[in-house]
Amino acid sequence: MGSVGLTLRWEHRISSVAAGGAGRVESAEIGAQAKRPNGMTPEDAALAAGCQAGDMLAYERLYRAQGLRMRNLARNLLGSQTDAEDAVQETFLKIQRGASGFRGQSSFVTWAFRILVNTCRDMRRSRLRRRERLSDGADPEKPQPREPRAPGAHPSLRMALEHALAELTDHQRQVFLLYEVEGFRHSEIAAMLEISETASKNTLFQAKRNLRSMLEPPRSAEAGGGR
Amino acid sequence: MNITCEDRERIFLDGTVEEWAALAKHAQDCPACADEVKAWKALSTAAEELRDYRESPALWARIESALRESQARRGGFFRKLAFGSSIPLLWQTALAGALAVLLATAAWYLGTHRRVEEPTAKLLRNSALAEVERTEHEYRKAIDKLAADAKPQLDSSDSPLLASYKEKLVVLDSAIDELTAEAAQNPSNAHLRHQLLAMYQEKQQTLQDVLETKR
Repeated sequence: MGSVGLTLRWEHRISSVAAGGAGRVESAEIGAQAKRPNGMTPEDAALAAGCQAGDMLAYERLYRAQGLRMRNLARNLLGSQTDAEDAVQETFLKIQRGASGFRGQSSFVTWAFRILVNTCRDMRRSRLRRRERLSDGADPEKPQPREPRAPGAHPSLRMALEHALAELTDHQRQVFLLYEVEGFRHSEIAAMLEISETASKNTLFQAKRNLRSMLEPPRSAEAGGGR
Repeated sequence: MNITCEDRERIFLDGTVEEWAALAKHAQDCPACADEVKAWKALSTAAEELRDYRESPALWARIESALRESQARRGGFFRKLAFGSSIPLLWQTALAGALAVLLATAAWYLGTHRRVEEPTAKLLRNSALAEVERTEHEYRKAIDKLAADAKPQLDSSDSPLLASYKEKLVVLDSAIDELTAEAAQNPSNAHLRHQLLAMYQEKQQTLQDVLETKR
């Protein structure tokens, strides 16, 4: 079994995988708090009302509750800590400007993350355009080197995954990060990306299949065989 | 629940808890499915490596400062807006009418008094005249730019306040045209040029006020 490029054998990369461990299943999700049909909890509604009133404490509560998750998502989407912090700041300013227009069709947190994802997408595009102008014939699609981050339990695995993620489509990358890394439900991701829940599930499935094929060494024919 | 290898991908896509449990049971006797399930779940475990929730001490301070700055800027605007919108429509109309009457009176006064004073008006020297003409030119340039900016707003809005501004601008334009024609015949008349400058200043201020209602 050969290993190509970034691939590492799964058993070397992940020591804690339990073959019989339960997968994350939407219907069995915990944290089913008292929610309104639109996904708003009372705390969420209070947060929305506070931000709409321009209450700085409400913004601080939003940051304390979601800021690090927002920064982490932005960091994984943009590949740079500095850009991620800019994106989070820009997102808060957009929330402030747009809070009065929030009508509660989704939860306030979902709405905030939608703004963040759009902000990151815009930043990526403008960075790409800037690089296109500067590259003068060089490949503008070539991903920028990622900034170093805190070492994890499996630094090689993290790097391999980051590189593989860069090869996914924007949509697949967003769904994978939102679901697998940030722990959002498909219903929330659907609201954030303005797609259906089914589309979110399909996109995650495709993203994971692509990641597997990029990270896994070539598999023998019988491995996928049916029974 | 009876699960076969063919169900595996569907369960990966959208399986229930029971289906995942049944797949796990099936995988105990099926090495191919055991590998697939292990690798599939390994991706979720690997994703944990991308979580970095370390505190960033300066980030909130930076965001808060940006929010306060933005709030202060918006606050100034909304206070102005609130003043305008708190006036009932009836009063806005009355105010606009009063403004129009005042302007008409002012235009009439300026027109009649200018003619009386013309014979005794002071004359400008050449250097002063050049300076005045340069200043008038600058005003016209600034006014043209402001007028272009304010045009969409003036054309599209039908609020009484903007209607009164439009009326005022018509009166000012007419006064400016008249004064410009007279100044062309008597360019060194200091009094005429002074009045023309005053009209330009008034028009510039009016256009700025129009733009201010938009912000």
